[in-house]
Amino acid sequence: MSVNLFTVINKFYDEYTTRTPQKLKIIDAYLTYILLTGIVQFVYCALVGTFPFNSFLSGFISSVGSFVLAVCLRLQVNPANKSSFQGISSERAFADFIFASVILHLVVMNFIG
Amino acid sequence: MARGLVFLLVLVFTVVGQSLSPISTLSLDSQARFKAIFEQAKPYADLSTAHYAILGLKLLNAPIPQPQEACTFLKEHLDANSIQSIYHATTAAKTLGNCKVPLSNGQQVLNSAVTDSSDVATVFYAVSALAALGLTINSAEVAKALDAGLKKDDSVLSSSLALHVASMLSNETNVDKYHDLIEDIVAQADEVGEKYLQFDSLQQTTIFIEGAYKLSGVVNKAPVISEEQVVLLGNYIVSRQSTQSVRNAYFVLSGTKALSDNKFQIPVAFALAGPVAVTSAQPSISVRVSNLFSASLGKLIVVATSVQSQSEGDTAASNLPLSGTSDPSIYQVNLMESKLSPDFYRVVLDATPSQADTRLIGLADGAVTVKVTTQVTLDTAEINVIDKDQSITAKTMRVKYPEKVTKGIEADHHQNLVVKFSLKDKSGQPIEAHQTFVRITNVKTKQEVIFTAEADSGKVYKFTLDVAESGKEYFKDLSGRYSIDLIIGDAVIQNPFFWNLAEVSLQFPESEARPSLPAGSQYKQLPKIEHMFRVAEKRPPSVVSNAFTVLVLAPLVLLFLLWAKLGANINNFSPSPSALGFHLGLGGIFALYYCYWTCLNMFSTLQYLTILGGITFLFGNRLLSGIAQQKK
Repeated sequence: MSVNLFTVINKFYDEYTTRTPQKLKIIDAYLTYILLTGIVQFVYCALVGTFPFNSFLSGFISSVGSFVLAVCLRLQVNPANKSSFQGISSERAFADFIFASVILHLVVMNFIG
Repeated sequence: MARGLVFLLVLVFTVVGQSLSPISTLSLDSQARFKAIFEQAKPYADLSTAHYAILGLKLLNAPIPQPQEACTFLKEHLDANSIQSIYHATTAAKTLGNCKVPLSNGQQVLNSAVTDSSDVATVFYAVSALAALGLTINSAEVAKALDAGLKKDDSVLSSSLALHVASMLSNETNVDKYHDLIEDIVAQADEVGEKYLQFDSLQQTTIFIEGAYKLSGVVNKAPVISEEQVVLLGNYIVSRQSTQSVRNAYFVLSGTKALSDNKFQIPVAFALAGPVAVTSAQPSISVRVSNLFSASLGKLIVVATSVQSQSEGDTAASNLPLSGTSDPSIYQVNLMESKLSPDFYRVVLDATPSQADTRLIGLADGAVTVKVTTQVTLDTAEINVIDKDQSITAKTMRVKYPEKVTKGIEADHHQNLVVKFSLKDKSGQPIEAHQTFVRITNVKTKQEVIFTAEADSGKVYKFTLDVAESGKEYFKDLSGRYSIDLIIGDAVIQNPFFWNLAEVSLQFPESEARPSLPAGSQYKQLPKIEHMFRVAEKRPPSVVSNAFTVLVLAPLVLLFLLWAKLGANINNFSPSPSALGFHLGLGGIFALYYCYWTCLNMFSTLQYLTILGGITFLFGNRLLSGIAQQKK
């Protein structure tokens, strides 16, 4: 069973490294980073407390928001989804991502106190 | 249904039983007072006063003082043109006797007054005057005038006067229709509180009663007045015996006389003739059994059918015969022989005449209320000082009446002071008194507090003083010497008394003195009020915070490591103006955000953001469209 699972994971990893474009891997790295940051903040909140609450909230919202935006970026950049996003180039998607991130962080900064 | 009937019967008998005996009689004192009023009426104010005073004295069987002077007064004040004046003068003169008022053509004047147009009162005056003068009365004429007068005015007064007139008519005249008037008239009387039956005035009531019995006597037929009505009418007449005027005194007297001396109905009254209290020194009660005039009814056999205790409600004695005394109306019985305990008693009496007399009303169920009193004695009182916690009697003292203990009794706030005593009547039986007070007086300040002592089931009185509590409540915690008095009293105790039995020393707990404020302190400056900020919440130690800061930043390192591993690079970066502008603009925006966090406000931030955003947008647009072009 465990051998099976291991082989499956191995297969999956191989597939990922060989078949995924580099751009997407970069975005996946970014997503991992955002995810870990959010998890650390959440652990802090669970262990120590929410004080100051608005700071915690803005930090966590920043993580979640960025993660969502990056996922959107990944979806639009993925060549496999080309048919769904006809007429939207990777650059345009990147520009949208930048624009949305700027707006998101304006709100986060406003809220951080 | 049956129960309702029984109840109704009981009610009827109760009412009858209550009302068939007159409430009171015209007392001998009142009769003496009336006599004085009549005698002092001289010099007479007018003819009617003289008339009433002379007749009143006659009713009392008293001699008329200076009858010749009175006669002269009548002669001088006679107004020969006034029928009423003639009536007063002639009636009074006849009563005086040996007095003849000068009336030359009396018969003619009086006869002319009796016409169809005259009212009943005038007819009455004229006929009465004729009768007084001993002149002949034309009965047929009078009856005609009377009928005409009654047709015009059939009020109570005029109908009652008609009874008088009818009684003076000749024997041949049929006066039955006037006798029938009695029933109609008495039906118009007002009953007040089931006690009195009366017409509008004392005069009307008396004139009716007199007329009714006079006429009934003439026709020898009992008047249609119920026994209850007779008694209630009598109650009303007698209730007016406090009057001061000659006229009313006469009417009270004549009304009472009519009810005491007639052929048909005579109410019998039972009344106490002696003191209410029955004592061992005076063991008998005296009851006057009399008519309303307080006069004897002849020889009677009087029996106390029952003696009922008013507090218990039970019958303490029954069928006690009363014995006659030198006064024929007063009967006596010794109640002490029945060994009655001290209380109020209702003595129900029955009287039986030795010769049957159908006229007498209310011979049964007369009642008087008496009280049996006793001498009360108190031998010894016991004063105990009892420890509150252990209920141990710390000290006991016995005090004999009427001595006084002044030494040796002390009680403090851990103790109770208990006073015990019992009251005994003359026969040595314990009794309860209505009022038993314990008075505790501060010897120095004379402040006194009165408590009540309660009797237990064994009729032993016990009074407990909780020193600590009473000190707070009643004595203002004023320790010191107090004197204790007993006050005993009751309506059935002959010798209520007061006994100062002890002087004790009471120690109350020291009352904690209230901190007294220095004078004027309320005007002093109060301490300044400082604003208190909310206390910050507890923060984690800085080690923890810093560790997590590092932890949050750690994935950034991981990101660069991953990117490095993936082979991401910036080789494609060409230092074109648009690329530089875009990246610098983006960096500027985030630097502006940092400033917004630390020092700027929203408005200035938005201003700068517009500028920076615009620049970044332009450069970004150019850069990215350039890259897109390259790809194609």
